[in-house]
Amino acid sequence: MSGNLSRRKFLAASAAVTAGSLAAPWVARADAKEITALLITGGPLYPKYWEKIVQDFTAKTGIKVRYDLLEFTPLTAKVVTLSAARSSQYDVYSTHTAQIDSYFNHFAPLNSYFSDAELADFYPVAVKYLRDPKTGNLAAIPRNMDARVQYYRSDIYQEKGLKPAETWEELVDVGLKLTGNGHYGLVVPGQGDPAQRTFSDLLWQAGGDWVDQANKPAFNSEAGIKALTFYRDLIQKHKIVPPDAVGYQWNENSTEFSSGTVYATFDWPGAFATLSNPETSRVVGKWSTAPYVRDKAAISCAISHAMALNGQSGRKEAAVEFIKYTVSTDAQRLQFDQFTNFPSSQSLAKEVIAAAKGPQATWLQQLETTIANGKEWPKLAGFSKVCTLMFSAIEQALSDQASPADSLNQAAKEAEETMRRAGAYD
Amino acid sequence: MSMAPIAQAPVTGRRRRSPLPYTWQRGYLLASPALLVMLAILIYPLGYSFIMSFFRWDLSGSAPFIGTGNYTDELLGRQFNQALRNQTIFSVVSITIEVVAGMAIAVLVNGKLRGMRLARTLLLVPPMIAPAVVGLNFRWLFNTQYGLVDALLRIFNLPDIPWLTHPAWALISVIVADVWQNTPLMVLLFLAGLQSLPQEPLEAATVDGATPWQRFWHIVLPLMRPVIMIALMLRIIDTFRTFDVVWLMTQGGPGGATNLLTVYSYLLAFQAVDFGHAAAVSYIALGMSLFVLGLLYGVPWLIAKRRAI
Repeated sequence: MSGNLSRRKFLAASAAVTAGSLAAPWVARADAKEITALLITGGPLYPKYWEKIVQDFTAKTGIKVRYDLLEFTPLTAKVVTLSAARSSQYDVYSTHTAQIDSYFNHFAPLNSYFSDAELADFYPVAVKYLRDPKTGNLAAIPRNMDARVQYYRSDIYQEKGLKPAETWEELVDVGLKLTGNGHYGLVVPGQGDPAQRTFSDLLWQAGGDWVDQANKPAFNSEAGIKALTFYRDLIQKHKIVPPDAVGYQWNENSTEFSSGTVYATFDWPGAFATLSNPETSRVVGKWSTAPYVRDKAAISCAISHAMALNGQSGRKEAAVEFIKYTVSTDAQRLQFDQFTNFPSSQSLAKEVIAAAKGPQATWLQQLETTIANGKEWPKLAGFSKVCTLMFSAIEQALSDQASPADSLNQAAKEAEETMRRAGAYD
Repeated sequence: MSMAPIAQAPVTGRRRRSPLPYTWQRGYLLASPALLVMLAILIYPLGYSFIMSFFRWDLSGSAPFIGTGNYTDELLGRQFNQALRNQTIFSVVSITIEVVAGMAIAVLVNGKLRGMRLARTLLLVPPMIAPAVVGLNFRWLFNTQYGLVDALLRIFNLPDIPWLTHPAWALISVIVADVWQNTPLMVLLFLAGLQSLPQEPLEAATVDGATPWQRFWHIVLPLMRPVIMIALMLRIIDTFRTFDVVWLMTQGGPGGATNLLTVYSYLLAFQAVDFGHAAAVSYIALGMSLFVLGLLYGVPWLIAKRRAI
């Protein structure tokens, strides 16, 4: 073969490479027996879990699944980017209630793929907040529930003759008795989305809500100001929470408890497995669970990890089969066995609770009560942007830059304008 | 000359019509794949995001044209103005410290003192570390409970400083991290400049009895002006792009106290899912850095031109 590269050969090769690159996605898409998925991971067990789910699904249906795994934050950023680009790279996405309102126009509605009887088995709170309130379209289907209960150091509490707090007042009293010598009675996160979640719980418990009947911001009501004042005082006045908590997210929050520095926290279902594992916890066998604290009401958030169908997918039928499999009883049971993730299926949750024993049974019942009474912030147009306003407002109050009333009033004013611009009142 | 045979090559009628010589055509043709890639991955996204900064682009389905709406919203908005104030303080303070300290250290290590070789080698370490790692390290160093800095303060019976949880201290903390990482780069740049200075004027000044400070102020500094300008240009561009260190240390908090324009833009795009506003903020930041660079180079040029007239 001649070693000379002529202009003609060079151009031909370039054209072939370009044509091949452009045609590849369509060639791949043509194979309906293979779908792609962008799935959530976290911790060493998750990759094995998805491997098993995908293997079982392929064995059952003959449909292959090519998937990529990402942790929650990078996954969210990638789904945002791909949605903005109207990409069809993935047919299926892992998603979450938190930002679902941003994707109402990008995830294909799942209503027609699930019967009413099938949907009725999922926790109503999960399905409600995965629906577009304007159209009623179901943007995603819940895979497991996320709710929080109180985790406390039963050994220390017993030693000091204390009981886990049930009310806000008791939370402060118990915290004050436990704080000292480098230890703190409580830890709560104080930054970004985790801070908003914590404020949200306290807002509902104080009798308030995010919006009023007309969907206008109402979080700056008397209840809202009371909630944020209480939240700030835990850190700044009572000092029962580590001072750095103003910069904590979920990981730091959990680590403060699992390292033994802090004696109580409110954490997600995954904490049950993490705290029981000697590799990830210094307090194995020294903790127990109790219900979340209450004020006027006993309400906290009940959200869910979910699965969604990309609206740009060219293989919707096969993709929906996979989605259905990931929320099936088998998959949810495996998820519970491996990560103690609470099922989104009510019937399976009842089975799991009935089969559980000892502290796990108590914890599962506490979680179910939280979920039954749980709420989520509204899924109105522009509310994702309101969340960024709230991060700043809550952090300003927690770090004593502004009073709770001033922070919330300013945020409410800006939130109404933001939602109006986004079409929430059209 | 080697060009002659190509210039004499027979050309077709079609080629004759082209305004470009044959060699240029061939050059462009060979470079075209690389140019296409550049267009695709650099120019196209830049142009696209600039255009989209004039649209309401928030994944809501429609993306209506809103003119300069995103720009006016941001320029009049509280959060943008807070980010702009933070950015200005961050850029001015960190660049000033880095340039002044960088020059001082460069003069010091340029001398023939003992251990200067080792010092020069150690200076390479901070710029070699990834900004994300620097951010994580400083996050732990400045942790009130477990951090080394507050532990040292406690040894001397000094009160704890809420480095990352108090708004003013948080901004100081991110400036400290930036100064730690980038001052050595300034030192290396200035050191290279100092070592290439002509020795004659300095020797003449010494003979005339000039003090070390007079030699530095009246001879070294004016001769170093081109290097200082390059250093300033690099740092201005860099501070307007700073993201990793701040994101890992504070995520722009508490309450936006360390929100720089890049962090604010990221929050708008990936938290608020509002690409139109995020793009507008990015282009305002780009415009600002170009304006500052324009001043930096334009003002001395104008002064020199006026003097020449």
